[in-house]
Parts: sequence; structure tokens; C-alpha cells
Amino acid sequence: MIADKRSLTRLFPIALVALPPLLGLGYALSASLGLSGVANGGLTLQYLREVIASHTTWAAVGWTLWIATASTVFATLAAVLLAATFRAESTADRIGRMVAVLPLPIPHVVAALASLLILGQSGLLSRFANTAGMFSTPAQMPPLVYDRLGIGLIFALVWKEIPFLALIAFTVLKSRGGLLEESARSLGANRLQTFLYATWPVLWRGMLPGVVAVATFVAGSYETAALLAPSRPLALPLLTMERYTDGAMELRPDAFVLAGFSLLVSLAAVAIYGAMIARAENFK
Amino acid sequence: MWTALPISVLVFSSFGEGWFYPRLLPTHWSTAAWGELVGDRRLLRSLVISVWLALLTGGAASILGFEIGRRVSRIAVPLRYFALTAAFIPVAAPPLALGIGLQYFVLRAGLGGTLTGVWLAHSVVAIGYTTVYFIGVFAVFDRRVEEEARSLGASPLVTLARVTLPLHRRQLAEAFLLGFLVSWAQVPLTLLIGQGAVESLATSVMSYAHAGQDHLASVAGLLLTLPALVLMGLVGSSIRRLAVATV
Repeated sequence: MIADKRSLTRLFPIALVALPPLLGLGYALSASLGLSGVANGGLTLQYLREVIASHTTWAAVGWTLWIATASTVFATLAAVLLAATFRAESTADRIGRMVAVLPLPIPHVVAALASLLILGQSGLLSRFANTAGMFSTPAQMPPLVYDRLGIGLIFALVWKEIPFLALIAFTVLKSRGGLLEESARSLGANRLQTFLYATWPVLWRGMLPGVVAVATFVAGSYETAALLAPSRPLALPLLTMERYTDGAMELRPDAFVLAGFSLLVSLAAVAIYGAMIARAENFK
Repeated sequence: MWTALPISVLVFSSFGEGWFYPRLLPTHWSTAAWGELVGDRRLLRSLVISVWLALLTGGAASILGFEIGRRVSRIAVPLRYFALTAAFIPVAAPPLALGIGLQYFVLRAGLGGTLTGVWLAHSVVAIGYTTVYFIGVFAVFDRRVEEEARSLGASPLVTLARVTLPLHRRQLAEAFLLGFLVSWAQVPLTLLIGQGAVESLATSVMSYAHAGQDHLASVAGLLLTLPALVLMGLVGSSIRRLAVATV
């Protein structure tokens, strides 16, 4: 009992860490319900209803989900490919692993800027296409930034997320992959079967928390979207910022609804992460 | 090539002159854009602000993360999982949504548009990262060393100062870098809490890019990139533990 009390007391410092975001969430939720902020006219579900009924909201949610899914899937596949390719202890493989994780500390805003300079209509790709005789003016280059499919944004996010996921994949394969693969091979599995039934399940289990973290981060990433996303449909972080900074103050509660929604989604991701950690510990 | 191309483009853009469509390479090279670092006070000021913010955030995050992680690691399972999950909240919360929620409190405290306000906002996120990091560090720390010191008559404070802290010098340095990087790359919190009055290097990249000033945006982008790469080189094998900061 005393130990339990001590444990509970020791939880206090963690409040220092979790309280500010929870206070922020609380304020966003109360402002979205008309209880605080510029539209504090008393409890109302009006703003919530308006945001939920708005086509713009769902277009933003759908587009953001598309970007998060596509970026995470491409980055995961590339990370798995890198981990499967550069897994030996040879110098070449070590260099391969090192180069693969090089963009890790580079800020997202820099990745977005580079993407703009490469994929813009007068960017490097367009110049290569011109040199190859594919077209003669920048206008002929299909739009790859500010485009509806978000190709430039996906490119920047994939470039930025591959190193993080590759690093996890390298670690997982190094610590847990070898023995299972050897067993599979000794049981007569060919290379493809070994990958499908031994390597992939181990990789996937080990990478899953990282994949959840990447998808959550990408969905809420503001700076990459601000430099590369189109204005129609707006990405969810851009829509939130637009509503928050709009001169028309009556739009402010909408921003609180959207911010509260984003924070709740991230809390759900945290809960999933917590469950995964607990499961992994039990598994050990 | 996949890794190097984006950085090469920034180098071309910052050092190249006469790099007009459809040229693949600039016609000649120049340091004129880099000279703006001295000439354009705005860029220099944002560099100084970024360094200052990152140093302060790294300092606060490493010290507080150490102490909170140390205390949390003494909590019994399953409450420790709860604490770990709680520490993960500021890490997972989208900075934009976090900034919108926090802005009210920062404004009430009279810290809107100030360096202190932005530093506190950056620290909220960075302390989350370093706490998660130190919970991991202390999970594998052999406490018998501390118990030995206590049994020899050392007070808790002396044990902390003479035993625990010296044993974690490297981890404290890594946590400092972690906090530094979190602040260094932060955009939405700086925009919302800084309210335009506090411009960091990361927000400068955005404003130069939006204004079509590619040369200056590239200079600011490379200035953001180089320290991050140097730090990665310094921490070397520890990069796995720091990776989470750069998701």
C-alpha cells in the first residue's frame, strides 16, 4: 500500500510533462463548445456542428489522410527495402546504412524547400526534362507542387521519414531477424518465402510503433504542407491555421474544434503506442 | 543520389548565380547570398534567435527530463506504463494544435511574442522527448551503485551529484542535443507563440520561400541543416536514441 502511495506520488513530475498539452486540449475543447475564447456565449454545440457539417472539413480530413497514408506506406516500403538490402556487416553495407539515415536530423522545412526547388515547374526535374527534349517551357511541366495529388508534399515527407523508419528496420533485423531466417532456410524455405514468412513479420512487428508515430506526425505536420500543399483542398493543419488567423473572429471557434480534433487523434495514437509498449514488454 | 540530391539543390541555389531555366547548373558561383548573412540583419538575427532558443531549450529539457525520467523509472509497473504514455503526449501532439491550445495561457502570462514565451513552448515539447528518453535510460540503470553510495553514508543529494549525474554525463549531452534539435526545427509553435515578433531560422526559411527569395531561403535552409548534420556526426552511435526527435 505504501509502495502504491509512493508510486502515485512519483507520478506528480509526469504531470509537469503532460499537463501543458492537456491544458491546451482542455482550452481548445472549451473554446470549441463556446465556454471560453472569443465566442464564449455559453455552452453550445453550434461550432462543432458547423465544422462537422462543412464539406471543407471533410475534404481537408480526406486529403490529409491520403497524404499521411501514401507517405507512410512509401516510406515504410523503402525502409524495409533498405533494411533487406544493407544488412550485412560489410563496409559497403555499413556505408549504405549510414547514407540511408543521413537526412534524419534535417528539419522538415528544409526538405520541403528542397522539394520545391526540385519539383517546381522551373525546378531541377523540369530542367532535366527540358534537356531531354521532353518540353521547352516550364508551363509544360505537370504541376508536382501545390498539386491536388500532393506529389511534391509526399516526396518531401517520404524523403524525410525513410531514415527514421530505416533506422528502426536496421535495428529490428539486427537484433531479431537472423535466427528466424536461418530456421526458415534450414526448413527449406527459398529467399522469397524466408522474406514473407520470417523477415517481414518480424520487421512489421518491430516497426509498427514507428509507423504509427510517422503517420500521426505527417498528418499534423504544418510546415511541409504550408510550402507544398495546394489551396484546394486545404490540408487539415493549413485549414486549422487559416481559421485561427482569419480576420473574421467568428471563424476562431472552428479552429479550436479542428485543433481539439487533432489533439484527440494524437491522444488516441498515444494510447495505441502505450498499448504496444505494454504488449512488447509482456512479450519479452 | 536520393539522399544527396535535395541538399545539393540547396547548395546550387545558395551559391549559384544566373541559374535560370532551363540551365541544369548555375552559370557561375558566388557567395553573394551568403554575404546577406552579414548584410541582411533579419537573417542574422533569426540565426542568433534560433541558436539561443535551441541552447536554452536543450538545457531545460536535459535537466528536467533527467529528473522526471529518474523519478518515473522508480514507479512500479503498470503505473510506469501509464507515466510513459503520459510523457509521450507532448511528443505526439501536433505542434500546431498544441500552439493553438497553449497560446491563451501564454498570452495571459504576458509572454506572447516574446523569446521567453517561445522558449517555454519549445520546452513543453522538448521535455516530453527527453523524459521519454530518460525513462528508457533509467530502465536499464543498475541502481545498486546508488544504494552502495547511500550505504556508505552519502545523502540523496550527494549520491545524485557524485554518483548518478557523473554516470549519466553522456546521456545528458545526448538529451541536450535532443532538446536542441526539437527547438532548432520548430515552426508552428514559433509562429503562434512568437506572433511574428520572434523569427527563427526555420520560420525564415518559410517566409523567404513564400516571398520567392530562393537564394536566401536556401542559405537559411543550409544554416539549419549543417549544425544538425554535425550534431549527428558527434553523437554517432547514439543516433538511434535521438531518432525519435526527428520523425
